[in-house]
Amino acid sequence: MTKETLFNSTASNPSPGSFPVELEGLVDENTVLVQRTLRSGQSIYHDGNVVILGDVNPGAEVVASGNIIVMGSLRGVVHAGAKGDTNAIILAFRLRPTQLRIGNHITRPPEDESSDPDYPELARIKNGVVTIETFNSVIR
Amino acid sequence: MGEVIVVTSGKGGVGKTTTTANLGMGLASHGKKVCLVDADIGLRNLDVVLGLENRIVFDIVDVTSGVCRIRQALIKDKRCEGLHLLPAAQTKDKTAVNPDQMKELCEELRKEFDYVIIDCPAGIEQGFKNAIAGADKAIVVTTPEVSAVRDADRIIGLLEAAELREPKLIINRYRPKMVNRGDMMSIDDMNEILAIDLLGVVPEDEQVVVTTNKGETVVRDEKSQSGQAYRNITRRILGENVPLMNLEEQSGLFSALRKMIGLK
Ligand SMILES: Nc1ncnc2c1ncn2[C@@H]1O[C@H](COP(=O)(O)OP(=O)(O)O)[C@@H](O)[C@H]1O
Ligand SMILES: [Mg+2]
Repeated sequence: MTKETLFNSTASNPSPGSFPVELEGLVDENTVLVQRTLRSGQSIYHDGNVVILGDVNPGAEVVASGNIIVMGSLRGVVHAGAKGDTNAIILAFRLRPTQLRIGNHITRPPEDESSDPDYPELARIKNGVVTIETFNSVIR
Repeated sequence: MGEVIVVTSGKGGVGKTTTTANLGMGLASHGKKVCLVDADIGLRNLDVVLGLENRIVFDIVDVTSGVCRIRQALIKDKRCEGLHLLPAAQTKDKTAVNPDQMKELCEELRKEFDYVIIDCPAGIEQGFKNAIAGADKAIVVTTPEVSAVRDADRIIGLLEAAELREPKLIINRYRPKMVNRGDMMSIDDMNEILAIDLLGVVPEDEQVVVTTNKGETVVRDEKSQSGQAYRNITRRILGENVPLMNLEEQSGLFSALRKMIGLK
């Protein structure tokens, strides 16, 4: 599915919430867009997906039942799939979380900071463990 | 109508009082009428730092509770015309003043002064809420330590929530040598997290302690690096475009010399 098809399908469908049959299950309406940086002490809890146009600073927290996408540096605590969805993913332009949780899995980054890459990365559960990989637009 | 600027930090001991005193003295030296307000009720020390302790008769709580008029509580600095202090109360606690009273007080003061600078207590509770209530601008002070930066970040979030937009940052007690060794956060490291405008960087300098203990301000010490830093910050507040001074110059030159003569 490309962006274009999604755009066309919603555009040709004026009533919100109804999508062509072939897109059902691919389209999720329950997503919030946060248009700022979350600073220390600030948090977001959402039943659905969360997209953040900014950073998640150390001391900030994002908890979502769905996926979490950070269009910036993720340095705080994140929990995707907080209701147990082990298919949830966490994606960030710079993935440097204090702690990262997916479903009931909890991980911390390795102690040595030297390996911090400056490209987007994706965290998800593969074969029962949280894995971090380079994000290259093909998610599943 | 003057500006009301609150100097805040979250963490204690990072240099709010030092900054308030030096910026007040700096601005007054430029001929501005300045009123410093000590909002750290119960732990007052701005008066001590300025060497004005023995002249206190009335304090901020006397003003807000109507015991005296503002004019009676203001203390004129003995060295610099234009600099005034409204001292905190030592014997009462933070709940003796509320945010509405602070707003009213700041509105009165800004009619008389070009700059009203409020020295905020540490923390994010009532004392902080009082201190920011009447302010229209904020300066956030931090030191290059992870915990101080974390608290500064928290404070910036709270300032933004209180509609005090675009706070400015002062980095205090900066030690270039430690930064070069990788043992201290650099200016870039802090900027990456806090992402607000940098008003200035004040180096770690024992002259700060020396002058403070004498009730003097380092901004009037022509020779010290920290004094220069505070003079630069003062000019930036006045709207001048002053580049960041090179804090490494001294140590860089010394180490280059040392290398030349084979000491290292
Ligand atoms: N740049 C500096 N270099 C050395 N000492 C400093 C510097 N800035 C502040 N200090 C010292 O640190 C201590 C705490 O400063 P203060 O201004 O009282 O902090 P705060 O008001 O935030 O609690 C004081 O003893 C002060 O003299
Ligand atoms: Mg203080």
